[in-house]
Amino acid sequence: MLKNISVSGLSSLFLGLLIFLFFGLFYSFHLHYQEQYQLFLFTADYFLERVMQPGGLSNYLGSFFTQFYFYPWVGSLIIATLLILFQRSLLGTIRNLGAAKDFFVLSFFPVLMYWGLLCDENYLTGGLVAILFISLSNYLYTFSRSGLVKILFILLGIPLLYLIAGGSVLFFFLFLLIYELNEKTRSWKFLLLFNSLGVLLVLAIPFFLKNRLGMFPLVPFIVGVNYFRFPINFPVIVGIIGLLLVLLPFLSKFLSKGNFRLKKNILLVEVLIFFLFGSWFIYRSVDFEREGIMEYDFYVRMRKWEEIIHKAEEKAPQSPLSVTCLNLALGKKGQLGDRMFEFIQKGDEGLIPDFTKDFTIPMVAGEVYYHLGFINTAQRFSFEAMEALPDYQKSVRTMKRLAETSLINGNYVLSKKYLKILQNTFYYRKWATYLERAMQKEDLINQHPEYGLLRSMKLDRDFFFSDQEKDMMLGIMLSEKKNKLAFEYLMAYCLLNKDIQHFVQYFPLGESLSYFRIPRHFQEALVYAWDVSKSEVIKEIPYPIRDEIKSSLNRYRKIYTSQPDPQPLLHKKFGETYWYYFHFRN
Amino acid sequence: MKGLLFSMVSFLLLATSSCVGGKSEVQKKEGYPEIFPDYIGVTIPSGIAPLNFRIEWDSVRYSELYIENSDGKILRVKAEQTLKMPLDEWKHLLETSKGDSLMFHLDVNRNGEWYRFSPFPVYVSGDPIDYGLSYRLIAPGYEIYSKMGIYQRSLDNFNQNAIVENTLFQGSCMNCHSYRQTNAANMSLHIRGPQGGTVLLEDGNLKVLDTKTKETLSKCVYPYWHPTGNYIAYSVNKTQQTFHAANEKRVEVFDHASDIVIFDVNKNTLFSCDHLQSKNHMETFPAFSPDGKSLFFCSARVDTLPLQIKNIKYNLMRIDFDPETGMFGSAIDTLFNAAELDQSVSFPRPSYDGRFIVYTKFNYGNFSIWHPEADLWLYDTETGINKPLETLNSDQTESYHSWSSNSRWMVFSSRRVNGLYTMPFIAHIDEQGNAGKPFLLPQEDPDFYDMTFYSFNVPEFINQPVNMNLGQLEEAVKNEHVQLSFEKRND
Repeated sequence: MLKNISVSGLSSLFLGLLIFLFFGLFYSFHLHYQEQYQLFLFTADYFLERVMQPGGLSNYLGSFFTQFYFYPWVGSLIIATLLILFQRSLLGTIRNLGAAKDFFVLSFFPVLMYWGLLCDENYLTGGLVAILFISLSNYLYTFSRSGLVKILFILLGIPLLYLIAGGSVLFFFLFLLIYELNEKTRSWKFLLLFNSLGVLLVLAIPFFLKNRLGMFPLVPFIVGVNYFRFPINFPVIVGIIGLLLVLLPFLSKFLSKGNFRLKKNILLVEVLIFFLFGSWFIYRSVDFEREGIMEYDFYVRMRKWEEIIHKAEEKAPQSPLSVTCLNLALGKKGQLGDRMFEFIQKGDEGLIPDFTKDFTIPMVAGEVYYHLGFINTAQRFSFEAMEALPDYQKSVRTMKRLAETSLINGNYVLSKKYLKILQNTFYYRKWATYLERAMQKEDLINQHPEYGLLRSMKLDRDFFFSDQEKDMMLGIMLSEKKNKLAFEYLMAYCLLNKDIQHFVQYFPLGESLSYFRIPRHFQEALVYAWDVSKSEVIKEIPYPIRDEIKSSLNRYRKIYTSQPDPQPLLHKKFGETYWYYFHFRN
Repeated sequence: MKGLLFSMVSFLLLATSSCVGGKSEVQKKEGYPEIFPDYIGVTIPSGIAPLNFRIEWDSVRYSELYIENSDGKILRVKAEQTLKMPLDEWKHLLETSKGDSLMFHLDVNRNGEWYRFSPFPVYVSGDPIDYGLSYRLIAPGYEIYSKMGIYQRSLDNFNQNAIVENTLFQGSCMNCHSYRQTNAANMSLHIRGPQGGTVLLEDGNLKVLDTKTKETLSKCVYPYWHPTGNYIAYSVNKTQQTFHAANEKRVEVFDHASDIVIFDVNKNTLFSCDHLQSKNHMETFPAFSPDGKSLFFCSARVDTLPLQIKNIKYNLMRIDFDPETGMFGSAIDTLFNAAELDQSVSFPRPSYDGRFIVYTKFNYGNFSIWHPEADLWLYDTETGINKPLETLNSDQTESYHSWSSNSRWMVFSSRRVNGLYTMPFIAHIDEQGNAGKPFLLPQEDPDFYDMTFYSFNVPEFINQPVNMNLGQLEEAVKNEHVQLSFEKRND
C-alpha cells in the first residue's frame, strides 16, 4: 500500500518538477508575456468588477497568480502546483470511486493536456483555476453518501460553482449525474428529484443571470471563464479535458472491475501511452519560435540591450518583430550603422513596424518610437495595444509606459494618475512610488538618464503622424534635435528600403553629431553610391571611407560582374555587407 | 445676524470637540483646505449625492468635518484623509438647506498636530435637478476601443448601472446616446460594427434602424430630438482622424464632408434640404429649438484636409422648420459668425426655456474634445449677446454640454483635472445666464477619478432611469433592421 502511494505520489512530484523546470528553463518568456497583458490591482473595486460575472472568481485568481509571473520561477511553481493539485484531486476522485491503484496514470492525462494548452500564450491561468475548482468539487462530492448532502451539493454547488468557475459547472453536474446513476441504492424518486434539480439549475442559472452579471452574448456568457484570451473562440480542448475529468474516474472504476487481455500489464500500457501521447501533445503545443520573440520583446521592455545583441549573435532572429528588437538594441548601443547587416534584416518592417490593430506589434513598435523620442506616438501605440486586448483587460506594461510618457511630456497630474493605479499592484508599487516622489523635484527628472534625455529630445514642431512617411518624421526630428538614434534610424530606413538616393541626400544631417568615424554600413552605402554615380573615380569620394571598404567593394564588384551566379560566393565573402543586402535580400 | 449666530454655534461646537480625543491644541491654518474634488464655493442642487472629498495634504492622520446650515443643522464626519458623508444625513441636511448655504469646517491632524482651516461655503440652490445622468464610459484612446458602454447614474446617490455595454455585441462601438429633452423614455443610440444600427427606444418600443441611404453620406451620427418626439435631426459625416506627433492635442478628428438630415420617426424616412446639404459647406451638430420651429446647426466652408485643418471654422447657424409639414425655411441665419473671429464652434445646445444657447468655442475644426483651448460660451437669444461662461471654463478642454429639463442646470464634460480624462461637471445657471461654480459629479470614493480607466463622454440629464430590455435589443440587432428611405424637401 505504502509502495503504491509512493509511486503515484512520486509520479506527481516528478511531473510537477518537469512542469516547473519546463516553464522555468525553457518557457519563461511566455510567463513574462502573460504578466504584461493584465493589470491585477489590490483594490476592492477591481475584485468586485472581476468577480461579478460567471466564473469571475477563477478569472480573478488566475490574474492574481499571473501577476507573479514576472518572476518566472515563481510562475513555474504556481503552474506546476495548480496542475499537480488538479491531478491529485482527480486521482482522489478516481480512488474514492474504488478504482484499482494501477489506474492512477489516467489522472495524468488531463493534466498533461492542460500543460500543453498553457504552452499557448493565449490560454490563461484562470481557466486552469476553474477546472481545478470543478475537480476539487467532484472530489469533495465523493466523500458524502447522505442524500440530503447530495441535494445540497446540487442546490448550492451548481449556483456557487457557476459563479466561481462559469460554464464548467456542467462537468460538475455530469459527474454527479453519472455518479448517482451508478449508485444502486438510490431510489428512482431521489434520482428524478436530483436530476431534475440539476438540469433545471444548469439551464436556468445562466439564463437568469444573463445581462445581470455582465453583458455578453449567450455562448461566452455561459462559458464564463476566460480560458482563452479571445472570448469569441470556444475552447474545445478545455471541453475535452472537462469530459475526461468526468469520465476518467468511472472508466477507471469500470476497467478495474472488468476483465480484459491487457489488464495484467495495464500499468505498463498506461505509462507507455502516457509517454507517447504526452510527448506528441507537448511537442505539438510548444512554440519556441514565439518564445524567442517574447524573449527579445522582454529584453526591450527591460532595456537589456546587450542581452539582445548577445542572443542574436548566438542565433540570428528571423521574425520581423525580433529583428525590430535587435535593431533597437543595436541602435541603443551605437552599433546599428556598424552591425545591422551582420544579421538578417526584414526591411523597414524590421526597423519600425507599421501600426496594426492588435496588442503585440504596436507594443514593440511603440518601444521604438519611445526611444527615438516620438513620445506621443509611443504613448498612442502602447495605449492602442492595451485597448486591443480581446479579453477587455488592461496592461500593466502600458500603464507604466503611459506614466512615463506623461511624465516626459510634463503632465505630472496625468502621470500621477497612472502611478496611483500602479501603486495598487504587487510588483510595480515600489517603482511607482519612487517616480511619484521624484516628480516633486524637476531636476531629478531632467537628470534622469532616460526621461531626461527623452525630454531633451521632445519635438517642438508638430506634424501629423504618417506610417508611410517615417523618413520624413525622422528628418523633422533631426532638423530639431541632435538625436543620434534618429539619425541612424533614418539612414537604416533608407538602406533597408534600398533607397540609396535618399540615403545620400539625408546623410549630411548627421554632420553635427558626434561621430569619430562613419559607421561601416553607411560607408558601404556611400562608397557604393559614389561608385554607381562616378564609376572609375572612387579616389575622389568626398567622405572619409576606409581603404579596406573601398577595396572590398572592388572585390565585390569583380565577383558580381564576372560570375554567372555570384550569390553563393558573395554570401560567403560579403554576406554581412550592405552591398549583399542591396543585391540579394528581398 | 443670522450668520453671526451660526458662526458662534459652530465655534462652540468646534471648541467643545477640540477638547475631546486629545485635540487640545488646534492651530489655525489660513485659507481654505486643498481638497479633491474642489467643492469649495460650488452651487449644488438639493438632490445631489454627498460631496465626499479627499484632503490634498500629505501625512494626514485624522480629520473632522462639521457641516452646518443657517438653521444650525449639523452633520459631523470623522475620518482620515478621505471624508465620506452618511447618505441619509446628507440628504436630510440638503433638504432643509434649499436656497441656503452650508459651511464646511475642517480640522486636520497632520503628523499629530491639529490644524483648522477657514470654513468654506457650498451653496444649495432651490432649483431642483433631474433624476440622473446618462453618459458613455470609454477609455480616452485613439482608434481601438476595449470595453465601453452607455451608463446611467442617479444623482442623489452613487448608484450607476449599465444601460448597454459593447461586450454584448462583440467588436462593436456605441455612441451618440440622445434623449428627448431629458425624457429617458425616448432614446436614440448608435451601435457601430458588423451588426450595428441606430437603436430607437420610444416609450418601451424598440427598433433598430439602418440609416444609410444611397442619397446620404453615411449612417446617421450626431442626433437631436425634436421636442414633439416626431423627428430626430442627425448629421451624416465623412470623418477621418489623424494624430499629432508633438502636440498636447494628440488626436485630430475632422470631416471631409457632412450634411444634416431629419428622421421622421413615424414614417421611417430621412429628409433634408439644399441648405443642409450644401456642396461647399459642411453642416453638423444639429439641435432643435425648444418650440420646435428652428433648427440650429454648425456650418463650415469645405477645404483641403488635413493640410488646411486650421482653416476650418464652423459658424452657428439657424434655419426655420415647420413641424407640421416637415418643411424648412428658405434662408439660413448666421447666429454667431465664429469664422470672423478666427474661431470655430460646436455643440449648440438651446436651453429648454428658449432663452440661451450654449456652444463650445475653440480655434478650428469640429472635434472640440481634443482642443484644450475649447471653452463654453453662452448666446442670449433675448439680447443677442455672446459671452464666455467664465466660471465654467478652465485652461483645459470644456466640450460637450446639455441642459437639465428646467434649464437651471448644465452638465458639461471637462478635462481640467488631468488634461486627458473627461469628467462630468454640473453647474447652476440662473435666469440671467449667470453660472455658479461647477462641481465634479460626486463619487462615493473620491479616488474614483484617479483609478478609473474611462472618460465620461456625452453626459446627458435624464428624468428617470432608462428601461432598456436587453433581450429585446439583442433580438432587434440580430434581426433585419428597418431600412430608412430619403427624400429631399426644398421650398
